[in-house]
Order: sequence, then C-alpha cells, then structure tokens
Amino acid sequence: MTARLARLVGLRVRYQFLDWLGAWWFVVTLVVASVTGPLIGLVVWTTVRPGNPATVGYFVALAGVQLVTASFENHTFAEAVYDGRIGHDLLKPQPVVIGPVGENIAIRVWLAIFGLPFVAAAAVAMHAAYRWPDVLLAVPALLGAAVLRFLWTWLLALAAFWTERVHALVAFGNVLVFLLGGAAAPIAELPGPWRPVAAALPFHAMLGLPASVATGAVPTVAVPLMTQLGWCAVLAAAAALTWRAGVRRYTAVGG
Amino acid sequence: MRKLPRLLAIGFALALRRTLTFRVNLLFDVVLAVVALLSTLATIMIIFARTERLAGWTRSEVIVLIGTFELVSGIKATFVDPNLTFLSTRAIREGRLDHHLLQPAPSLFLATLGTAAPLAGIQILLSLGVVAVGVHATARPVTIGAVTTWAVLVGAAAAVTWAIGTLLASLAFWAPRLDLQSLFGNAWQLGRYPADIYARPLRLVLTHAVPLALVATIPAGTLTRRAGAEAAAVTAGATGAVLVLLAAIAWRRGLRRYSGAGG
Repeated sequence: MTARLARLVGLRVRYQFLDWLGAWWFVVTLVVASVTGPLIGLVVWTTVRPGNPATVGYFVALAGVQLVTASFENHTFAEAVYDGRIGHDLLKPQPVVIGPVGENIAIRVWLAIFGLPFVAAAAVAMHAAYRWPDVLLAVPALLGAAVLRFLWTWLLALAAFWTERVHALVAFGNVLVFLLGGAAAPIAELPGPWRPVAAALPFHAMLGLPASVATGAVPTVAVPLMTQLGWCAVLAAAAALTWRAGVRRYTAVGG
Repeated sequence: MRKLPRLLAIGFALALRRTLTFRVNLLFDVVLAVVALLSTLATIMIIFARTERLAGWTRSEVIVLIGTFELVSGIKATFVDPNLTFLSTRAIREGRLDHHLLQPAPSLFLATLGTAAPLAGIQILLSLGVVAVGVHATARPVTIGAVTTWAVLVGAAAAVTWAIGTLLASLAFWAPRLDLQSLFGNAWQLGRYPADIYARPLRLVLTHAVPLALVATIPAGTLTRRAGAEAAAVTAGATGAVLVLLAAIAWRRGLRRYSGAGG
C-alpha cells in the first residue's frame, strides 16, 4: 500500500515537473518572490545588529528554507476546486491529495534548481558560515517544515469548498507565518512575552526553525522537532476532517 | 484633456458598483488590509524594541514612512495593478487591445487606467491614519508647506509607479512572453524600509534609476523634515518625469508594432 502510494506520488511529481518545464520564466519570478523577504530581513537586521555573523547566516539559510518549503495550494488545488477539475481526481482510484502533494514537490524542485545556486552565491558573498553538524541537524527540521507548510497551506486552500476568497485566507495565513515564523525577525529578537508563544505555535516550525538550527542557535533540537511533529499530526488531522466535510459539500456541473 | 479625469471617475464608479454586489468580499478585504497593516507595524515595533534608530530614522519617522509606503501601495493596488497585471498577457499577447484601440479615448489611458479595484482603496484610508499617528509621534511641528510637498511627492510616486508598470507592460510589444510585472512587484518591497539601509550602489539605483525611494523614503523624509530630503525630492521628481515620458513613448512605439489578433 505504502509502495503504491509512493509510486503514485513519484509519477505525479514527474508529470508536474515536466509540465512546469516550459514555465521557467515564471519559476524565476517565484524564486525572486521567495527570496526577496529574507534578503530584505537580512539588510534590516544587519543594520540593527551590524557585524553579527549569526544574523547573516540565519537570513541566508531562511532564504533557502523559504524556497524548498514554498506552497501554492491556493493557486493549484483551490483553482481546481473552483473550475471543477477536482471532479476528475475524485473519480480516480487513488487519494486526491496525491495531486496537490505531487505538484507541490515538483514546484519546490524547480524552485530549488533555480534558487539554491543564488542562495549559495549570497552565502559566499555575505560570508555566511555554518558548522556541518548544525547543517545536518537542520535536515530533519527542514523536512518537517516542508510537510508542515504544505499541510497549513492546503488546509487553508480547502476553504475553497466554502468560499471564493481563498487567496485572502492564505494571505492571512502567510502574514502569521511571516510575523511569528521568523521572517520578520529571528525568534530570539522577539520581545520577551512573544518568544515562548512563537516557539509553541506551528509557524516557526514551518520556516524559521531549520534556519535557526543550521546557525547553531537551537541548543537542544529534540524538543522543537517533537513540537514540529505534533503540529504535523494536528494539521494533518484538521486537513483530513476539512477535506471530508468539503467533499460532501462539493458539487460539479458538466465534465 | 478634462475628459480623462471624468473617464477615470466613471471607470472607478463602475468597478465600485460591481464590487459592492459581493458584500462578504468587502468584509474579507477590510479584515485582510487591517491585518496586513498591523503586521507591518508589529515588525517595526520588533525592530525598534532592539534599536533606537534604523539607519538614522527614529521609530515615529519610520511609522510615517510605512504609512506613506502603504498609501502609495494602496493607490497602486487600486488603480494600477488591476490594469497592468494582465496587460502584457491578455491585452497585447492575446489581442484584446483591439477593443481599446477602437474606443474614442487615448488607448494608453484605457489600457492602463480604464478600470479599478475599489476594495484595495481601504488600504489608502488606513495608511492615512498611520501617517497621521507617525507625524503626531514625531513631536515636531509640521508646516503646511511640508504637507503640500509630501502630497505632491505622493502624487509623483503614483505617477512613477504607473510609468514603470506601463514601461514593463509595453515590453510585451517586442517580447510577448517576457512578463516583468511580478518582478517589479517583488522589487516594490524594497521601498518598505528607509533607502538608507541599503548599500550605496543599490541606494543610488533606488533613487535615480528605478526611483522606489520616491515611493516612501523621500516623501516621508520631507514630511518629517529630514536633512537633504528636498534635494533628493528634486532628483527623484526629475527621474519620475523622465519615466512618465518614456512610458508614453514606449507605448506609442509599441503600438506601431501591434498587429492585433482579431476576435
């Protein structure tokens, strides 16, 4: 069963990867959109804390994390709900979520191909330094962030079954990720009472956590990773329940 | 010439009537505009919890800057984006520009300012409040001259925004698949903070070549009476005038290449 699912996801990723082959210019604009925020954050916080290598390392890593966790289900999945294409997927003998997952991974692969060399060049130019053990520790945090960000965006995109304002909802979700996820400021720079709140909520685990781990700013990784895992379970359950309710509500016309 | 403001008003009124049909959308957009603005202000508060000044700007001066940035962004979202976002793809590439060319009004006006997104105007109202709060917090007397200069510069910033957008859209006459609007949308974010935080080469580009400093840094500097703001305003204003002229020329030259797609 798991092998079949993995094969179906793999096929979907391949199909979507090839489908995006002709949209390289659009991918470039997505890369620029993804890295602009962290790079502006880098300039702002190096002005606030001049000569602090940890700040440089954090925001450069954040640009990389942003690229490989980017999620656009409000454009892909929600649009399929609006124009009825989801009806075809409902008839196939496979879970519908394979479609959004496959497209999400394919887009991230394209963003990584175009964007990561740029981030690496920025790291060299800005003299960002990392310790290999910290980078290796950041890998599971990055995988968790990738899953969590997808689940969060997909959960919000599922609102397409009820409202046509999914883009506004996802924009609101992105504001939360920006503010509490470590893009507006590294979590350590937040005012005292905000810090534990931001650490407990899922947004930092979606974005800032892998960058913090990569720069060695997280002394014990186990607790944040467990928190991340817990949020993955919560959001997966919420998405599954919302999906079930949404499909019951869904009606399509024509074909 | 008086026809153009009337056409602008009619386009806005029609768009407003269409928009108000969907009241829930109005609620969504109001909430989202408030949340986005609060998030921006919260970011400023976080930064100023760690420092007294950002590249020489005090907290209240940065609040004026943020308010000005959001104001011009609101004007962009209300009047410019609804027209220019799909101009290169839908109008020029797919041939829908034919429709504008047949109307008894300048095609440049119809194609780039013909419609509006009135709900985005909520951002304009909110940002004016932020500017007022920031000016009040600076505790410096604000002269009528400073307010007038600021208003003129905001108008110039709106004109520059339109001109850059039109220039980028006009490129589609020569390279139909080249869509630089979204890149401009990303570069736009550079105007959110004082231009002084950027390295000198980028700062020069933002003041003279792509005058995004005119969007917020220069008007806010004038209103808060920062040293050197007047000189920067003159330079950026001149660059803006050149850009508007270039946009009009590019459009006219581009139209000569346009052959339409019928339909």
